[in-house]
Amino acid sequence: MLHVMRSGARSIPDEVMRAMFAARKEVFVDLLKWEVPVLAGAYEVDQFDDPHAHYIVLADRDGGHLGSARLLPTMRAHILDSLYPQLCEDTPPRGPDIFEVTRFCLDRSLSARERRQVRDTLVAALVEHALANAITGYSAIAEIGWLQQILAFGWRCRPLGLPRTIDGKMLGALGIRIDADTPRLLAEAGITALSDLVEGDRRVAA
Amino acid sequence: MQKMGQFLELLDRVATADDLTLAMVEICALLGFQHFALTHHVDLVRVSAPAIRLHNYPAEWAAFYDEQGLGVSDPVHRASHLTGKGFRWSRIGAMIPLTAFDRRMLDLGRAQGIGDGFTVPANVPGEARGSCSFANATDLPLPEAMLLAAQLADTFDFESARRLWSVRTPHTGKCKPLTDRQRDCVLWAARGKGDWEVSRILNLSEETVAGHIKQACERYGVNKRTSLIIRTLFDGTPTFSDILRR
Repeated sequence: MLHVMRSGARSIPDEVMRAMFAARKEVFVDLLKWEVPVLAGAYEVDQFDDPHAHYIVLADRDGGHLGSARLLPTMRAHILDSLYPQLCEDTPPRGPDIFEVTRFCLDRSLSARERRQVRDTLVAALVEHALANAITGYSAIAEIGWLQQILAFGWRCRPLGLPRTIDGKMLGALGIRIDADTPRLLAEAGITALSDLVEGDRRVAA
Repeated sequence: MQKMGQFLELLDRVATADDLTLAMVEICALLGFQHFALTHHVDLVRVSAPAIRLHNYPAEWAAFYDEQGLGVSDPVHRASHLTGKGFRWSRIGAMIPLTAFDRRMLDLGRAQGIGDGFTVPANVPGEARGSCSFANATDLPLPEAMLLAAQLADTFDFESARRLWSVRTPHTGKCKPLTDRQRDCVLWAARGKGDWEVSRILNLSEETVAGHIKQACERYGVNKRTSLIIRTLFDGTPTFSDILRR
């Protein structure tokens, strides 16, 4: 089941949000060892998790977390301009129609095959969300190994600056352009949403 | 970086392998390298699956490389399986143990005029691993200041090549996925169990287990269970952690 939440239209059930914050702690803190705040020893929540953030969450029928992503409006403080401006050669992309994709999170309990399906569905959902909400571009920060995968999704990507080694990790910033042609580019690269995952009680905030 | 932007625009428009080769020659010059090589690490002579290779190495060196079937055992390629970041060839000895043949090969490369190089691994899950390298002549040092730009250029080059050769992830390809039972049998076989042991573990008859393995082999078009295990690991049907977990 696909849940989408935009600012001012909180429609994702609390238990789905809670499962997402717990899954983020398992992935980003326990697995990837990021130094980010943890609430009550179980939930990864930072200063950008505010009412302005959009969330896209894939959950199973019981509300269990499968995958999620957080979108931050670039007109407000976001990760690229607040924490990693050095990754951009010019000023970080900023505009009412540009959002930063952060905390792209695939649940640790998934098998390899499920991971790929959830990943593809989440990427397709990001594009659909952009088209439905007049978003024309995403920015994102990725570790260099991930970068090749992000390019392989087939959408139009541009580096925003040279990669840099920060705290032992090589990071790069990307700009992704979204337009009516993007779904076709994704499909050509083999990225399609698994309909089982998005059907059902579908909530898209108005 | 601005020139790099122009280069990436160019990459978007490449329609043939020749276009990409020309673009690579251009980026080489821009970054201060003489040679490039872009490859998928399969043995190009023996494997019929779509594979990628573009380079502008001296012809004699390329011919020798192919004759020796080096695509698989090349120390540069082996090292690139261990890291996600670019590395310089002079560091390979510290990354992987080098055999006498590896050292001889690196010496031969130098004798052909190829000095130090910089390789960026390219790994898209479910596909053969690849890499993109830039190298210079023996008497020319690597352009230090350009290595980060090379890292980025290589990543985009490789994606351009993937698109050109239409390399697709296997789940969209022709191989039908295994059934749950077939997958369970392959998983236990990969953990080193024989048919009889698997039959006890999964509570099936030994013939049924043998049948599942045989059908799984047919789906992948292979004859031996070793090949089957490698192929399923490759596309993530079981992962290394599934196999090693007890």
